[in-house]
Amino acid sequence: MNKTDPIEARERFESDVLSVMGRPGFRYFAALGFCAFLVTLGFGLWGWQIFRGVGVAGISHPVGWGVYITNFVFWVGIAHSGTLISAVLFLFRAKFRTSFNRAAEAMTVFALMVAGLFPLIHLGRVWIFYYLLPYPNQRLLWPNFRSPLIWDVFAVTTYMIVSLVFFYVGMIPDLAVARRRLKGFASRIFAILSLGWNGSLGQWRHYNKLYIFLAAFATPLVASVHSIVSWDFAVSIVPGWHTTIFAPYFVAGAILSGTAMVITLVWPMQRILKLENYITTDHFEAIAKILLLTSLIVSYSYIVETGFAFYGEHPFEAEQFRYRSFGDYAVLYWVMIFCNSLLPLTLFVRRLRRSLPYLFVLSLLVNVGMWIERFVIIVNSLARDYDPYAWGTYTPSPVEIGITLMSFGLFFLLYLIFLKVLPILSITELKEHHG
Amino acid sequence: METIRLRTSHLWFLLVIVAITMAIMEYGGPQEEKGTFLLTIVFWAGILQGAIAVVAVTDLIEARWIDALREKLLSLYPLLYFLLILFLIFIPRAGVFPWTAHPGAWLNETFFIIRNILLLLAACLAARFFARAALRRDSGTKRWAVIYLFIFVASQSLVAFDWVMSLEYPWISTLFGAFFFVEALYGGLAMAGILFFSEPRPDASFPVKAAPRDIGLLLFGFSVLWGGLFFAQFLLIWYGHLPEEISFISERINSPLYRALGYAFLAFNFFIPFLVMISRKAKGQAGVVAAVSGVILTGIFIERIFYIGPALSLNEGAAFFQTVLMFTAVLAFVNNRNEFLSRLAGKDAA
Amino acid sequence: MNEPLLFDNSDDFLRALRQLKEEGKTWRELRLHMPFNVPEVEEILEVPAGGMRFFAVAGALAGFLGGFALTIYTVLDWPIIVGGKPIVSVPPFLLIAYILTILFGSLAVFGGFLLLARMPSVREIRECRDFGNHFAILPGEEEGPWKQ
Repeated sequence: MNKTDPIEARERFESDVLSVMGRPGFRYFAALGFCAFLVTLGFGLWGWQIFRGVGVAGISHPVGWGVYITNFVFWVGIAHSGTLISAVLFLFRAKFRTSFNRAAEAMTVFALMVAGLFPLIHLGRVWIFYYLLPYPNQRLLWPNFRSPLIWDVFAVTTYMIVSLVFFYVGMIPDLAVARRRLKGFASRIFAILSLGWNGSLGQWRHYNKLYIFLAAFATPLVASVHSIVSWDFAVSIVPGWHTTIFAPYFVAGAILSGTAMVITLVWPMQRILKLENYITTDHFEAIAKILLLTSLIVSYSYIVETGFAFYGEHPFEAEQFRYRSFGDYAVLYWVMIFCNSLLPLTLFVRRLRRSLPYLFVLSLLVNVGMWIERFVIIVNSLARDYDPYAWGTYTPSPVEIGITLMSFGLFFLLYLIFLKVLPILSITELKEHHG
Repeated sequence: METIRLRTSHLWFLLVIVAITMAIMEYGGPQEEKGTFLLTIVFWAGILQGAIAVVAVTDLIEARWIDALREKLLSLYPLLYFLLILFLIFIPRAGVFPWTAHPGAWLNETFFIIRNILLLLAACLAARFFARAALRRDSGTKRWAVIYLFIFVASQSLVAFDWVMSLEYPWISTLFGAFFFVEALYGGLAMAGILFFSEPRPDASFPVKAAPRDIGLLLFGFSVLWGGLFFAQFLLIWYGHLPEEISFISERINSPLYRALGYAFLAFNFFIPFLVMISRKAKGQAGVVAAVSGVILTGIFIERIFYIGPALSLNEGAAFFQTVLMFTAVLAFVNNRNEFLSRLAGKDAA
Repeated sequence: MNEPLLFDNSDDFLRALRQLKEEGKTWRELRLHMPFNVPEVEEILEVPAGGMRFFAVAGALAGFLGGFALTIYTVLDWPIIVGGKPIVSVPPFLLIAYILTILFGSLAVFGGFLLLARMPSVREIRECRDFGNHFAILPGEEEGPWKQ
């Protein structure tokens, strides 16, 4: 069917993808250095916080959860679209996922690594964090499984492990390709990493089953992890938190921010690495549609939540609504509405959906909006709960801001390293779609 | 088997008879229970709007299996007009809602009637234009699908919040609306499973086996989604343990009848579809898919009883009779769809 | 006969496989190498489903039961009412069981895959024996201790 020689085409896929792993240039090292600087700064500030105590952060009574928890929820959310693109779209047999799945899966793993730090940073005595894990100990104590914070430990750890396995399994045939194409020491490393994959039927037939099963396990997982994160808030009785729509609302929000992050990462990658043949505008359009859909679900949740301020006699809900939209953090609230609900509506226009620079800017703004959304949810509700005597406001301290910057630095640092050490597109799936 | 062939005008005549019968049952007869008619319209609003929504969603994502079922499901669109008529018949009963005693900004009788009539009307019109575009396969299909789905979501949310949740005023659950429109899609899909079995010869030349497998897979997926949403709602009410929230559940599970019904719909909507449809073999068989679809529709119906019954009291005989009437109307429209559908699509009657 | 048959594209490869199948060869009597997955191969050769399903079910079940066992055992070990919740609270424990179902299920299928596909294989790591971008048919059986 194809005029070109199939072998040649396959070899071209291999060399195109593997050539990305070549010698990095100055710009790469500059970016890497900048990220490393942010990471060093952030970890230094964390050390300072451990040394001086959590008082160096702005969190205090009544707002005990601030930017740290905002970051945690934000980064767990970013992780979600990776699994969505690799597992859910695989089950739905959507072919465009091939262009994104490796990048998105890597993003999932790195975002989870970053997210996992924040509950630890938030701990006053981080050196005893292992009290959270269930193991027989001389204290004769077990964690309280009725607490949502323990559900988080289980959910996020499981998500981390399963997405690592999924990321790795998807890469095995490509690692064997890298082993064959590369020379010397790198080849030997990839030989070990590929576990001796040789593409025999005996391997393929189990591999296919493995991939389907992993996708089938990961799909309900992706929905449940952010549901559980949402329940950290929703099982309490704080107005603005205790509301049943939280689980689907958070899951949709997570996928919204995650797809935006995919666009943020993949568009520069496509431009700089010249991957236009592999990651096309059609593929971006498909991702943009998912972004639009999740934005609509999030908007629906905003409407429903707001609507209940008018439904009947619920003074606390009504006051929470009033405070959010006209109180101390009103500006953030309206920025959030603009970025998450109004701006994505422009994606109904086909021309904008297919304009990559527009999508890129939009994706950045959506993630600004999603970060603010978590801040609005967390801080507003704590600042104004039932008792006026316990009201107060919160401003992040320089330490918290520095550690937030660190999280972005760490995420992009890991991603930059990934670009240079692993195949960034699924070579094997490219060959499969090419036939 | 011989099917009765009816002209389109006869179908409308049938609907008039059904409407009059229901009105007489509701207002003229000895029936004292006030919830039966509401139960009927709540249930059928979900299933009928859901069936059209299934076509809209599948057309949007270009799922091919719908080709075998598009015409059958779209033939239900005239019943959305009928739904509007049923709602008009229901209006004199609006006094059953407890909030009518203390009307508020959102919950007051005039606004309730106006917004619901407008949305149901919008749903009819959007369904009609969508059905026409989808049958012609013209370029407007996707646009109308999106418009219909917007109205569908709004309309089902209102069914949930206005028609059902407000019966237990001031009890609230913000997920209720989303739960209802997901359930409507689930019900619409179950309807598709049954309709596929009722006449397995597909409309287009299409591999017959693929459709039940895809419907089965989707039913499986929806059973998981349903279970998840149910749990999300249950867990928060259970965990919060606030008197004003827990009353809704305690009122129901403290009565032996409603406790049993509660377990029944949990089994019918989640456990049975989940356990049956997890098997690859079961998914491929139209008969099994149809049977499970029937179970799901029953489950959704029981769930509606669970919501409405304790608040308003029901008449079992009337509920049964009205369901049979509605089902007859559905089958009449599906089996005699050629004439009005081809008129809608602007083609000559075959 | 010990020379491998090499093919450039999957159509020729599948044609050859159909022919071999007609000649009465079963999938056990052939060694195949593929640069990417071709689902038709398993259909043509009627390859049985293999044991992966077993690992998935066993892992998932172990996780589900293990999750309930862990939560119920530990809470009964020191029964103290926290937050007004019953000692054995099924809804939260169900969540832990659910998460562990997925965790153990995923790890079990991964372990099962390594076992069934005989990976990691030291010999294959030492010496590359794949056929690059070609499809290959070799006479001779699949090797290894776990023949099935």
